[in-house]
Amino acid sequence: MNFLNLSLGELLGMAGAISAGVVALYLLDRSKRRQVVATLRFWTAADSRTEMKHRKRIQQPWSLLLQLLSLLFLLIALAGPRLGSDDSGRDHVLILDTSAWMQARAGRTTLIDEARSAALAYVKALPSRDRVMLVRADALATPVTAFEADRQILNDAIRQSQPGASALNLAQALEFAQRVQKLQAQHPGEIVFAGAARVPEDEASLATVPSNLRVLAVNGALENVGLRKIGLRRSTSVADSWDIFVSLRNYGLKPRDVGLELQLGGAPVGSKTFSLKPGEEQQATFTYRTHAAGYLEARLNARDAFPQDDRAVVEIPSEKPLRVVVYSNEPALLKPLISSNQVNAVFEPPAKYDPQVKADIVILDRFAPPQRPKASSIWIEPPAAGSPIPVKGTRTGVKLDAWRTDTPLGAGLRTKDVLLASAEIFTIAPGDIAVAESTEGPLIVARPGSPKIAVLGFHPVKSSMKYELATPLLIANTLRWMAPDVFRSREVQAGTVGTVTVPVERGTDPAAVRVITEDNRPLPFTIEDNVLRFFSGAPGTVRVLTGDRELVYSQTLPDVAESLWRPPSTVRKGIPRPTGNGVSSTDIWPWFAVLGALGLLLDWLLFGRSRAYRLIRSAWRKAA
Amino acid sequence: MPEPLIDRALLEKLERLTIHWQKSLPGLVGGHNTSRFAGAGQEFLDHRHFHQGDDLRAVNWRAFLRLEKLFLKMFQLEPRIPVRILLDISKSMETGKDSNKFDYARKLAAAMCYVGLVRLDSICLQPFSNNLGDAFLASGGRHRFQQAATFLSNLQIGGATNFFGAARDFISKYPQRGLVIVISDFLDDADCEKPLQYLSDFGHELILTQIWADEDREPPWDGELDLEDSETGLHVELAFDSSARAQYTAAFDEYAQHLRHVALRNRGRYVGIPTSVPVEDALFGPLVRSGAIE
Repeated sequence: MNFLNLSLGELLGMAGAISAGVVALYLLDRSKRRQVVATLRFWTAADSRTEMKHRKRIQQPWSLLLQLLSLLFLLIALAGPRLGSDDSGRDHVLILDTSAWMQARAGRTTLIDEARSAALAYVKALPSRDRVMLVRADALATPVTAFEADRQILNDAIRQSQPGASALNLAQALEFAQRVQKLQAQHPGEIVFAGAARVPEDEASLATVPSNLRVLAVNGALENVGLRKIGLRRSTSVADSWDIFVSLRNYGLKPRDVGLELQLGGAPVGSKTFSLKPGEEQQATFTYRTHAAGYLEARLNARDAFPQDDRAVVEIPSEKPLRVVVYSNEPALLKPLISSNQVNAVFEPPAKYDPQVKADIVILDRFAPPQRPKASSIWIEPPAAGSPIPVKGTRTGVKLDAWRTDTPLGAGLRTKDVLLASAEIFTIAPGDIAVAESTEGPLIVARPGSPKIAVLGFHPVKSSMKYELATPLLIANTLRWMAPDVFRSREVQAGTVGTVTVPVERGTDPAAVRVITEDNRPLPFTIEDNVLRFFSGAPGTVRVLTGDRELVYSQTLPDVAESLWRPPSTVRKGIPRPTGNGVSSTDIWPWFAVLGALGLLLDWLLFGRSRAYRLIRSAWRKAA
Repeated sequence: MPEPLIDRALLEKLERLTIHWQKSLPGLVGGHNTSRFAGAGQEFLDHRHFHQGDDLRAVNWRAFLRLEKLFLKMFQLEPRIPVRILLDISKSMETGKDSNKFDYARKLAAAMCYVGLVRLDSICLQPFSNNLGDAFLASGGRHRFQQAATFLSNLQIGGATNFFGAARDFISKYPQRGLVIVISDFLDDADCEKPLQYLSDFGHELILTQIWADEDREPPWDGELDLEDSETGLHVELAFDSSARAQYTAAFDEYAQHLRHVALRNRGRYVGIPTSVPVEDALFGPLVRSGAIE
């Protein structure tokens, strides 16, 4: 016998509580009641046998017993008992594995085909009154249908299920199924998992599973060697070079020898042969020198069941140098300061000055043109008449007292006892940045805006600053401040979809960080313990911008988990035997309801004290 | 403004009723009830031989011309009999959960009073409990009803029923015989048969109107009860069940039957009315059927 609406404990608890209430009310009803009457003459004559000397606590025990039994019957009726096995009308959750690994080929079919077939067979084997909720599970558990009894809708949803790009999060899917059954199911049935169950290593030993779990296993133990990650980074030692990191893994059960080829625009970049043991992961580093942008393709020469992770493509970004035009009569003085592989400097005499010159930055050496340049500009000892920052005066023997290291231009600059033979002192306006100061006033001033302007009150090479380390750093800081995009360090990685973690510098302000997709949509992220995390469930490119650093994540590789989950031996497996329409039990609650109602009616007839009943009884007596 | 004892619609219905008595009682001429006594009435009763001293105005001169004998015409006397309503105001009249017996009795007394006033009877409203209280005499037509209604409305309940003392005082206070309408629950711990018999033997005609609440006849309670007599304050504790209730009701019915015998034995009438019956239904039902009013 099954109590579908109430558990046995709930039934007994409710019966106990109601019985206690009934007994209490019964005793209260039977307790001594004070009553004022017109006369006592008929009471004392009524019946001497009912006087107090024969008083009993419970006057009508059969009435009490009848009431309690009737209430118990009604409670049992509410519980909805059934006679026989109850395998109909239950709500099942069918978890279909749609992780990336389900694209793997097993003979002529793929793993997802086998899982879909198993799921369809399971749905077909269920009684027609059972309802099923289909949940597609990869990194996220996504319900596709509600608890649905329409087999056509379920079959269509199963057939339309396709593998995703992320790995399976089995624990989350099972937890979701349990929660759904608890909250929405009327009569919880089974939780069914159909798939290969390739999971991350930390889930491989998952042993705590729902007691009502059934597994429709698909053989996922296939041989595969695949790329895990490709990373590109500007070489720190060799200019114009890229360091390329490649990581690959053997997911199979046999050792494999595979060859890796790297190509950029069809031209070979490098190749290497790997010998991988089962479950082993290896990395290789390549260095490639190029200015050109293009697509770097990594290809594994491995014929396996899962070709999707044998090829990856990473875009190498173009490197645009900073175009600087220097108007100076003494270009040799400034060349050492400006020359860099990221700067394309052109030196012109002041006579060739063009305010419309195509340049990112214009440097004016002791020269004030009649018309200011359109681009950002650095002014070195400008004449007082044409200076963009008003010159307070020219002083001799000026001591450079302090650098404003809290500004981007003065960051990291230090000097000691620098005495300038001659220097211009500027008058700053609100918003201007005083980069270097003396007791007389600002010696270097920067003005933000568009275009940006920086003015130096002394010549960095012709003054005593010539031998200071701060001089090239000052120029570098100024160029970086004016054109930050050019000097931003780039790092490109090709990896798998899913959760990405990026180490960031300590104290990174989350407000200064941007994580954007290919179409410039922001992605939510967290920063905790100097680690930035974001999740992307679909293949694509995600850019992480942190200050002067840009990281490009090309998430093109499918996320293949490392291990296969072995379900515990207690878990039911396979497709159950079909049970037809499921009508193998009989509702017996109506009988209990009738019994309860009859009991209460009988109690009312035998022991009732209602006015209507007394009138009827007296009428019967008179008629008799 | 207090609610009137009887509404206007019922008063209009009461206009067509008359209080009737069965005994021939001497009274002032001018009433509406016929009497066995011959007298100065309007209705012809009989002839008799003329005797010396008879009123010559009653001689049937037509018969004398034809038979040459003097015959005297006799007319039926229509006396005006005093009607006295004895209204129980003891504490036992206060009991009754759904409807108060005292209110019911006052309404009934007011209705009877109005019926009598309409027929120019003289109605004496006499409350009683331990003994007789202050009475109110209403006569002279329906326009005196308002004072009677006010008197009834101002009555206060109190005291214990003592039929014996009330009957003794009544006889001494009202020596003229008449119709006595007793409106009471008759729930006197002492036997009320003797006082009623005493009143009847003195020459009064009795109309016993017993009023009871439903719980007086069939108590609705069950289980253990602590009962208190409303008049004496005595307590009795007992357990009450359906069988005891049946015996209680039987004893009550037996007592009511006993009252009926007392009334009928003395050529009076008995009417038992539960308070669950509306006053109008009681007037035009049991009271009319009993012949007390027609």
